[in-house]
Amino acid sequence: MAADPFESEALSFLDALYRTGLRMTRSEAEAEDLVQETYIRAFRFRDQFTPGTNLKAWLFRILTNTFINQYRRKASRPETTELDDVEESILYRHMRDVSPESSSPDPEAELIDNTLSSEVKDALEALPEKFRTTLLLDVEGFSYKEIAQMLDIPIGTVMSRLHRGRKFMQKRLYDLARDRGIAAARAMPRPAD
Amino acid sequence: MDCADCLERLYAYLDRELRPEEIGAVRAHLDDCGGCEENFVIEERFLARVRDCCAEDKAPSELRTRIVTRLRMERDLRR
Repeated sequence: MAADPFESEALSFLDALYRTGLRMTRSEAEAEDLVQETYIRAFRFRDQFTPGTNLKAWLFRILTNTFINQYRRKASRPETTELDDVEESILYRHMRDVSPESSSPDPEAELIDNTLSSEVKDALEALPEKFRTTLLLDVEGFSYKEIAQMLDIPIGTVMSRLHRGRKFMQKRLYDLARDRGIAAARAMPRPAD
Repeated sequence: MDCADCLERLYAYLDRELRPEEIGAVRAHLDDCGGCEENFVIEERFLARVRDCCAEDKAPSELRTRIVTRLRMERDLRR
């Protein structure tokens, strides 16, 4: 059987759809179901896709809508939908407190590079659904305008969600680093009296 | 452009969403202001780190097989 070009191209976005679904659902099993459902819908509605336009954006729109519909239906209790405002320049000002003994000329960069990948992913997954979805679409390289269209929200809302979501993540990563810094300091041998 | 104007445009700049004339103004300010430039560099590094961490996860090969099989069924049903 000849390969179906639509199917081949759509499958080239499997990893991107899966990793986004994984962060959206926070579950491997649910991410697999979500991605499979996305492909089935894409296949059924493929006549609505205009060849030559952005297939990746079209697939992500289906993924996002499927997730939001299922998720909002399933959530018995609405989760917190807002984020407390985080102090604006949390990342810049406080890093030197984390490792005051560090000889690094660039402690902020050191903190970012030393943050574990699992911590970054946890921080993303800790975001309320609306913020998480917006950040994940940004991570996949979509423009503000594309994200606004996918989520049916104004561009200004995309920008404010990205801003607040990123600040929330930075605060969480900073807090983790600070706790780790304190733990490391406690593990240090006490200086002799 | 002062520091407040510049920092206000930080994410739009890093996300490549600024209009060309604004990009020039931000760059001109960054050339003159080490403090703002440092902030931009750190934020850029943070965004790259988030992207890299997310890119680590790959779809399981069984999922690909499952989807291909399922799409074949869909195609047969359409016939």
